[in-house]
Amino acid sequence: MNAGAAGDTATTDTAERDVLYFSDGVPGFPRSRQFTLVGMSPDSPFQVLQSLDEPDVSLVVTVPWLFFPDYDFELSELEQVELGITTVEETVVFSPVTLDAEQQRIYLNLLGPIVINSTTRQGRQVVLVDTDLPVRAAVELG
Amino acid sequence: MLVLTRRTGESIVIGNDVVVTVLEVRHDQVRIGIDAPRNVQVHREEIFAQVMQENTAAVASAADLANPLLRRPAAPPAGGVPPRKGPRLQPPSPPRPDRAQATPVSPPPEPEPEPGAPPQT
Repeated sequence: MNAGAAGDTATTDTAERDVLYFSDGVPGFPRSRQFTLVGMSPDSPFQVLQSLDEPDVSLVVTVPWLFFPDYDFELSELEQVELGITTVEETVVFSPVTLDAEQQRIYLNLLGPIVINSTTRQGRQVVLVDTDLPVRAAVELG
Repeated sequence: MLVLTRRTGESIVIGNDVVVTVLEVRHDQVRIGIDAPRNVQVHREEIFAQVMQENTAAVASAADLANPLLRRPAAPPAGGVPPRKGPRLQPPSPPRPDRAQATPVSPPPEPEPEPGAPPQT
């Protein structure tokens, strides 16, 4: 995961085809514009969204429907335009995950999904409006 | 910071196309109406702050990648593998008439060939 080296090692190690472009960064980390997805163990539901601009910035993410099959939101016209999305098929959605090891619990951020256009590799963290979706949806793993 | 005093029903205009109207003032609450084009994002500040805070927590969690909780295989959801899902896509909005390019209301009619006109060669 962590190459252990400072500087832009991660950038040079990552093939261009694996780069995801977040033109606005993500809230809290506006300087992180390029990310790559790193898998964990093959059967793990989690992946790591690793910043190529700030090596210390990586978020655990997962496909929300694995944990919340009824999860449902509308991608606004604005976000579709920003991402160049025209079909659901080219739309990939992840939820950021936080870990509460003591409580054997994780939380999914259902209010701020990370949406990626798999064709253009453009990504954004979308902050949904007019919704009651929680920013911390608990999943018991214990 | 620019500070303006407004009464109920009065508005301020930001830029060319954002209008903020004070709808109601009751005790310590103010209801505000915002009329903005769809390409302007409007968020309650504390919601945005929550997402930012949650991202910081998610980054801190990534420091604990070796945690067995994140290493276990996914439990198959009840009822089998869910179908591939995605968001609903908001349908495109009709163009705003007040902002549309100056286009003629109806296209100029194609000149129709006269019935008896000889075919052009």
